[in-house]
Amino acid sequence: MPNVMTGATQLMLLATFLPLLGGLALLFVPNEKREVFQKASVAILVVSFLLSVPHWFWYERSSDAVQFAYACDWMPSLGVKFSVGMDGISLLLWLLTTFIGPIAALCSWGNIEERWKEYYVWLLVLQTAMLAVFIAQDMFLFYIFWEVMLVPMYFLIGIWGGPQKLYAAIKLFLYTLAGSVLMLVAIFAIYFLQQKATGHYDFSLAAFQSAQTVQLIASQTTTFQILLALAFFLAFAIKVPMFPFHTWLPDAHVQAPTAGSVILAGILLKMGTYGFVRFLLPIVPEGTKELMPWFLALALIGVIYGALVAMIQKDMKKLVAYSSVSHLGLCMLGIFALNPWGLKGALFQMLNHGISTPGLFLAVGIVYERRHTRQIADYGGLSKTMPIYATIFMLMTMSSIGLPLLNGFIGEATILMGTFQTWPWVAVAATSGIILGAAYMLWMFQRVMFGPISDVNAKMEDLNFREIAYFTPLIIMAVWIGLYPKPFMDIMDRPVAKLVEQVRPGFHQAELLAAKQAEAAKAGMHAMEAPEAEATPAAEGVAHEASAEAPAVHATGGGH
Amino acid sequence: MPSFASGLWENLSHDIHYIWPQILLMAAGTLMLWPLDSWLLPWTKGEKQKWALPTLAILVACLVLALTAPNGLGFSAMYKVDGLTKGFQVLCILGSIFAVLLSQPVLGALQEHTVEYYVLILLGTSGMLFMCGAVDFVSIYFSIELMALCVYILVAYLRNQERSIEAGMKYFLLGAFSSGILLYGISLLFAAVGGVTTNLTELNQKLAVVAADKSLLVFSGVLMVLVGLCFKVAAVPFHMWSPDAYDGAPTPITAWMATAPKAASLAVFLRIFGTGFHNISYDWTTPLMVISGASMVLGNVAAIRQQSMKRLLAYSSIAHVGYMLLGVLSRDGQAGAQAVWLYMLSYLVMNTGAFAVVIYLQGKGEGERIDDFRGLGKRHPLLAFSMLVFLLSLAGIPPLIGFFGKFFLFLLAVQQGFTTLVVIALLTSAVSAYYYLEVVKQMYFKEAPEGEVAPLDPFSKYLIGVACALVIVGTAFGPKLLQWTDDIRWFEKEAPKAAVLDFTGK
Repeated sequence: MPNVMTGATQLMLLATFLPLLGGLALLFVPNEKREVFQKASVAILVVSFLLSVPHWFWYERSSDAVQFAYACDWMPSLGVKFSVGMDGISLLLWLLTTFIGPIAALCSWGNIEERWKEYYVWLLVLQTAMLAVFIAQDMFLFYIFWEVMLVPMYFLIGIWGGPQKLYAAIKLFLYTLAGSVLMLVAIFAIYFLQQKATGHYDFSLAAFQSAQTVQLIASQTTTFQILLALAFFLAFAIKVPMFPFHTWLPDAHVQAPTAGSVILAGILLKMGTYGFVRFLLPIVPEGTKELMPWFLALALIGVIYGALVAMIQKDMKKLVAYSSVSHLGLCMLGIFALNPWGLKGALFQMLNHGISTPGLFLAVGIVYERRHTRQIADYGGLSKTMPIYATIFMLMTMSSIGLPLLNGFIGEATILMGTFQTWPWVAVAATSGIILGAAYMLWMFQRVMFGPISDVNAKMEDLNFREIAYFTPLIIMAVWIGLYPKPFMDIMDRPVAKLVEQVRPGFHQAELLAAKQAEAAKAGMHAMEAPEAEATPAAEGVAHEASAEAPAVHATGGGH
Repeated sequence: MPSFASGLWENLSHDIHYIWPQILLMAAGTLMLWPLDSWLLPWTKGEKQKWALPTLAILVACLVLALTAPNGLGFSAMYKVDGLTKGFQVLCILGSIFAVLLSQPVLGALQEHTVEYYVLILLGTSGMLFMCGAVDFVSIYFSIELMALCVYILVAYLRNQERSIEAGMKYFLLGAFSSGILLYGISLLFAAVGGVTTNLTELNQKLAVVAADKSLLVFSGVLMVLVGLCFKVAAVPFHMWSPDAYDGAPTPITAWMATAPKAASLAVFLRIFGTGFHNISYDWTTPLMVISGASMVLGNVAAIRQQSMKRLLAYSSIAHVGYMLLGVLSRDGQAGAQAVWLYMLSYLVMNTGAFAVVIYLQGKGEGERIDDFRGLGKRHPLLAFSMLVFLLSLAGIPPLIGFFGKFFLFLLAVQQGFTTLVVIALLTSAVSAYYYLEVVKQMYFKEAPEGEVAPLDPFSKYLIGVACALVIVGTAFGPKLLQWTDDIRWFEKEAPKAAVLDFTGK
């Protein structure tokens, strides 16, 4: 890791910590100046977003290395470093975070009626903590920010939330904390294991992911590996949240203010899936494989159960919350497919979910601000008085259920392709979740937007400029990704290939072999039975990619 | 007998350098008891707080003396100055300084401002300083008693409050009882090695080779010493006295009890189990593991139900002792002492800060109950923010200093193979977040009661401000702290020949 900071790295750190600095500055503004807080927080977050955008262009897509890297000693005797950097996976989520930030601040203007100072300061602190999680390249640093995130979220829900806010806030806090402390033990265990082998202490992510450490873990007893995998799994599964650890989510979502829901759905849940991709899979691949049937079962239950529960909800926010359980279950299936398609699809779906679900929460927030109810039964016929709102809501709904030409479709299709390669029946079952998803979303849309309109609802105003302003970026992204997803796919190409190689060493070679045999068979030659004889077009596609990537993967193999 | 007298003088003149801090404390303490105030401090006539500043000055001087004391072994190999001694002495003195500062608002309000209060703090501190350096069961026992007697009286200091008297009585009876057990354990060990030594280093060597038929004797002795010490640090199941004593004592004394005597007792713990019983760790590892785990679980679970802030902090302190016993368990004495010291340092700062806030509220007739914190975020934002920082730090949320202490301690414990205990520790610390956040909830999520906001007195203001800053930036200075404490040699190797008084005159 270089310990000289390049301009791009400085900019990355600035974009990450600017919200915190801005928040500290806002502490000196008296609480009465509501407008100052509103405008300043949006301005800070927009600047942070603008500072983050160049990294999209600077990122070298042909490399799977951690880029914009910087490291300096923090606690040398423990091997703790201040080590930051991003690969394509972190970069996408980091950009998603800077992108959602201003939207969350903007949507708070209308519904935060008291204690503005505390609110916007916590919001800004939360933003920095989330951004820092994605750039941390040291386990200690990662853990710090991972836990720091909890505190602002606790306050956002606990002070500005709904009637059950206290219960929801403490539940969120305790659930997440209980999960992550176990992860700390797993981190310690790996740390000492590694120290015994190499003779020096090192908390860096690169060391944890190194082929040497992974081998070392794989050479331990199965029980030990399973325990390690479980410790990581629990921490991330609670965050995702996977069934049966999801019960905090509906409470937190329903009680949180709109911005809280937006951030929760948009980014905090991605922390869990990010954790799986970044830590569990590359560090404890063997232990994960041992537990794979269980993980798959839980993910699949999440997909279907989440969708079924969403179907019967009377509260719009709860419906969207359960739809998150279902959608993220699908992401988990993609991750557990352990092949490039599945992983790419999952990462892609994380991005999509981070765009469409905040959009849905914003949409619910808008009618809630006007009518102070979220019951579906209280609405109906809104499309008559709120045409713009209905259009936007429609777009977000379609994006969420995966209509082709919008973002959701690409992610879901890719995940299913990937899952089908590895676990065909699971993919078949998961499809039912998608069908159910279309059913409950469209049904909600129908009940809210069409039908007779009541007098109260007839007086509701359509979107104002500010509200349109925060939907616009979401719509642009949804359409852009839906029409032309290639740039987003490209950026995670190499990191995902590296990840697959870490989890299933020799995967690309096997694919290559399979593809060659398939070609040979096609040419009518005497063909052997291939080990993984799914010579589907999809597999061929992967194989072609793999053949292009193979040299690069080998050059950097082992993941430094 | 000229040779005896000159030998005595020679030894004393050499060894006295080790205990200047204690001598200063005792001399100053006794001097203050004389009715000299109009003569010693003429300018303070009629002022209530006149003894605070001299006491603080003495404690600061004592801190300097303790830090500059030479390393070595003295007093017939009964007292030793090494890294462990100095490190924990610093904690004890800091704890006492904080206690004096915290006492100012309380004593004024209670009309109980007497010189004895300060004298007892000084004498108690001297007992603690002896505890930190004691390396012989005799000196350990005496110094513990010196400390404990002062604390008993201070707990019962509010003579006209029944609660305080009751607390003092309970503490005294159980404390005396536990001292008896400790002493009995010592005598068993003394017997087991054939009645030749109570010195920890020698005991360690002799216990390792003790005859098999005496192993039960050794085991009972070790167990009783353990029980006696667990009473002193209030570890489960010997914690029953602590919530009552904490609750009834004047609040600054509660803060003091939770930090300074605890630091001294942990030093004794480290000393006895790190040197005295080092070779027979198989005798005490399992019982101590059980005690440590039980303290974490019971301390944290029992704290949930508390309505009184002082009782909550009492139970949480039981849990924190449970964490720190992980460091005592460490077979690597050096690293164990370092980890316990770092944890105790962080605990000292955050706990003192939390008590300072409780004392502020008490000054307004509130603060005893958790409900009294309601709306503090609105009534007094800075104070509430400080309390938030202290509570989150006590819960071990990063990046506050409490996390750093826990991190290092648990890291060591995992290395030493106590993974199960660390899992318990971490899960119970997640439980602890619940009751700490209960207070946060009152401060920020509940409406404030009617009434004026009383100003903070200057002592508390600076104390809280400094403590809060330390807790926040603590982890950033973590590397420095680690570096310093890495360099400290906590257990100095014994001097080759101890200066032993020779009574035979040969």
